[in-house]
Amino acid sequence: MKTVIRTWIVNGKKYTVEFPPMRRLLDVIRETLGLKGTKEGCGEGECGACSILLNHEPVTSCLIAAGQVPDGAEILTIEGLELTHEGQELQRMYVAKGAAQCGFCIPGMLVASYAHVTGDHPDNSDAALREAHAGNICRCTGYAKIIEAVSAAAERLSHEDEDDDT
Amino acid sequence: MSATVSSTYRNVGKGLPRRDGEEKVRGLAAYADDIPVPDGWHGWVVRSPVSRGRLKKLNFDPAFDWSRVCVVTPEDIPGENVVDMVGRDMPFIAHDWIQFKGEPIALVAAPTRALAREAASHITPEIEEQPAILTLREVVDQFQRDPKSLHEMVAQTISKGSVEQGFAEADVVVEGEYWSGHQEQLYIEPQGMVAFPEPDGGIFIQGSLQCPYYVAPELIVTLNLPLEKIRVKQTAVGGGFGGKEDFPTLIAGYCALLAMKCGKPVKIIFDRNQDILYTTKRHPSWVRHRTGLKRDGTITAMKVDFLLDGGAYTTLSPVVLYRGILHSTLGYKCPHVYVDGHVYRTNTFPNGAFRGFGAPQAIWALESHMDRCAHKLSMAPEAFRLHNALRLGDTTATGQTIAEAMGTPTVLENTLAHSQFVEKQKRCSRGDPKADCWYGIGLSFFAHGAGFTGDGESRLKAKAALDLEILHDGEPGINIRISSTEMGQGTFTIMPQIAADGLAIPLDRVCCPHPDTKYVPDSGPTVASRTTMIVGSTVFDAARKLKTQLEAYASETFFGGAPTELNNGLFKNTYTSVSLPFERVAKQLIAEKGPQRVYHQFQLPASLKWDQKTFKGDSYPSYSWGCNVAEVEVNPLTLEIKVLRITSTWDIGRVINPVLAKGQVEGGLTQALGYAVMEKMGIKNGVFDANRMQTYVVPTSMDVPEMDIHFVEYPYTHTALGAKGVGEVSMDGLAPSVANAVEAATGVRLTEIPITPEKLWEKLRETASSAI
Repeated sequence: MKTVIRTWIVNGKKYTVEFPPMRRLLDVIRETLGLKGTKEGCGEGECGACSILLNHEPVTSCLIAAGQVPDGAEILTIEGLELTHEGQELQRMYVAKGAAQCGFCIPGMLVASYAHVTGDHPDNSDAALREAHAGNICRCTGYAKIIEAVSAAAERLSHEDEDDDT
Repeated sequence: MSATVSSTYRNVGKGLPRRDGEEKVRGLAAYADDIPVPDGWHGWVVRSPVSRGRLKKLNFDPAFDWSRVCVVTPEDIPGENVVDMVGRDMPFIAHDWIQFKGEPIALVAAPTRALAREAASHITPEIEEQPAILTLREVVDQFQRDPKSLHEMVAQTISKGSVEQGFAEADVVVEGEYWSGHQEQLYIEPQGMVAFPEPDGGIFIQGSLQCPYYVAPELIVTLNLPLEKIRVKQTAVGGGFGGKEDFPTLIAGYCALLAMKCGKPVKIIFDRNQDILYTTKRHPSWVRHRTGLKRDGTITAMKVDFLLDGGAYTTLSPVVLYRGILHSTLGYKCPHVYVDGHVYRTNTFPNGAFRGFGAPQAIWALESHMDRCAHKLSMAPEAFRLHNALRLGDTTATGQTIAEAMGTPTVLENTLAHSQFVEKQKRCSRGDPKADCWYGIGLSFFAHGAGFTGDGESRLKAKAALDLEILHDGEPGINIRISSTEMGQGTFTIMPQIAADGLAIPLDRVCCPHPDTKYVPDSGPTVASRTTMIVGSTVFDAARKLKTQLEAYASETFFGGAPTELNNGLFKNTYTSVSLPFERVAKQLIAEKGPQRVYHQFQLPASLKWDQKTFKGDSYPSYSWGCNVAEVEVNPLTLEIKVLRITSTWDIGRVINPVLAKGQVEGGLTQALGYAVMEKMGIKNGVFDANRMQTYVVPTSMDVPEMDIHFVEYPYTHTALGAKGVGEVSMDGLAPSVANAVEAATGVRLTEIPITPEKLWEKLRETASSAI
């Protein structure tokens, strides 16, 4: 079978991987790279469990043919989140506020949270936070504690920004 | 007004963070598709393309190379070709009759999923197709014309007093019919299972499941293996909601049958499309109420017909029906009750367990109907309910006396106050043609039987074990050995809280590993809102037992026989000021005598009486109570329905972990919101028409309204812990409060869920044309 070879920066480290070009990015992440934290919930971009950051943009990795991802692309998965300060803060708040129940949507949900808090001038109002997570389905929590956790993390991170400015 | 339990515990009652929180936010929790399966094959199920018919033969394409794959047909089943559940009417693989489209007709395994799938496409059945009955509408039509023509799976009645007499005493009789459709659990992790053949001829099953001791014993007759050779271990579970109660036996069986034939581990992970099409759903229901009323609001008679669409095979339908009929009049005083319950077969995927288990269907009908009754008498809905609510000393339809203080009617009074229900009633639009926006507020009040129905807990005798041993960190501690599973609701967090307090040792000395039938006794299934109430209480009593044993050992070994007490992790004796930490004593005990195990077994009070035949007596050990007030806004042009706010109060007994309990309520209400206004699933050409996440729409973060949640604690008096259930009650009662609010907003009552703008349009048009 025809394969392609790509070199990507995954969670800050360089990886060279070989795969059939139409293989889903999700499968390359889970099977080839062995990063099992990214989950498949629907396979059609509806549930958001497979969300990752591709060149700093949140995408559903089940909808991307891995061959489309060029050399040098930067990929951040749930496993890489804790290497960042914002990621750690979000993880801490998710645990503290009881945002995870079964946990299966959480890797994708946290990626959405991370994309939001690291975006330009994030609006941290309840409505904006709900919108930022609307592409990620959670069947356990009713979202209340997820929004609460992101709000608390965003609050703490914004205070740090103020400290940096002074 | 509200009862609050003063807590003397260090951990119980505290909103401690989840034990499995860290591994979940780091992406480290290993679900069924994440565990390593070296040299594993992939399984695939070949399914019937028709809804009903006689299966004459299977054709295997001679052009396909069958040597590369493993195929299992009924002839390959080592034991009986039967799924050994409540009913024994379902074959593992159809061999004669096809009863639904999608029924398994063969199993295939291959080194890759693609090859397994390809092989499956080369197997074609010859089926002599027969007429099929596919929808609840058809069932209800026939029920009203000629019920004998239907295939009845189970029937049960409840009878109290004489409804004829009750109707004779009534000033007014109110009738109503209420419909509900299928609901999909839609756990985010699809069903997944792996079966590993063991060198001794046994099988080791790991996967996403709620009940290890359903899967293992239910496979005995099929695999023809003794129970001890069927080992079942739960992986991390990405949500269950009942969907992983009965169904996992099937997928585990497919994997096991394939693994036993090909000698390799076999894994089946459903994709979402398969998961929706080929797993159990909530039973669609039709409920007809006929209620006799006095002018002052007193209920004199309740007659209920309760029908469920069972799908093609029995699965757990009898038990769902029992819970359904028991909840169909629950919450209200009435001297004359007759409930007639039936489950009928349709030729669609068998329906099964889903959070609430018959109660949401019953409460949807009951609480819609109670509003209708109040309306007929021109009484306020809250006044009608307060007038009739069960109170201490009253009896239910089965004759059970409410013998301990419970959250009735406190949850109702409390929610009315918090929501300002009475004041807001005046603002309701009632279809005002001049309004730009229709506002409505609606109420529901209900109970959920906590634990198994009737004397189920007496028959099951839940067992829990505690192992005092060296934990993974090299220090002594306790491993809790129960078959109760963690699927998001918090078992692995609350059980250590309970055990640590029972033993009076530090929380970090207690672990609750994933259940594995090799190590855990049968604590029963993780269902029926029974885990905290029944198994939690059993763990607590086991911990007290172990505490006494440890104190005796410490006294003898370290304190010369002086009375010794373990408190806050320290052993102290009454005479000296010397104290020894738990770890020191435990280490010595383990070194001397090896790991220690204590067992405890749950017992219902002897006073509980239940007759399963007549449905008379104490239908549940206790009851959780809930009350919802929903506020809605309806756009008069688009008829879009928006639920703005939900105010609710819950009596779940003693709250073990308030953060987790509130999380259960928030999640349950959200799933109930989907049931009420969003989650629409019909049958088209014999299969579910909404078969993907794109078409089966559930609430997102933007659909969920503001929730104001309160707890009042009325502990279950039979256990030291006093917990009742929280898992299901939160799913039970939102739909009718929304329907009642929609009526207050629009002036019309909708009697089928989900309530959609389309149905509202039809109803408004119908009402307008009948007014002309």
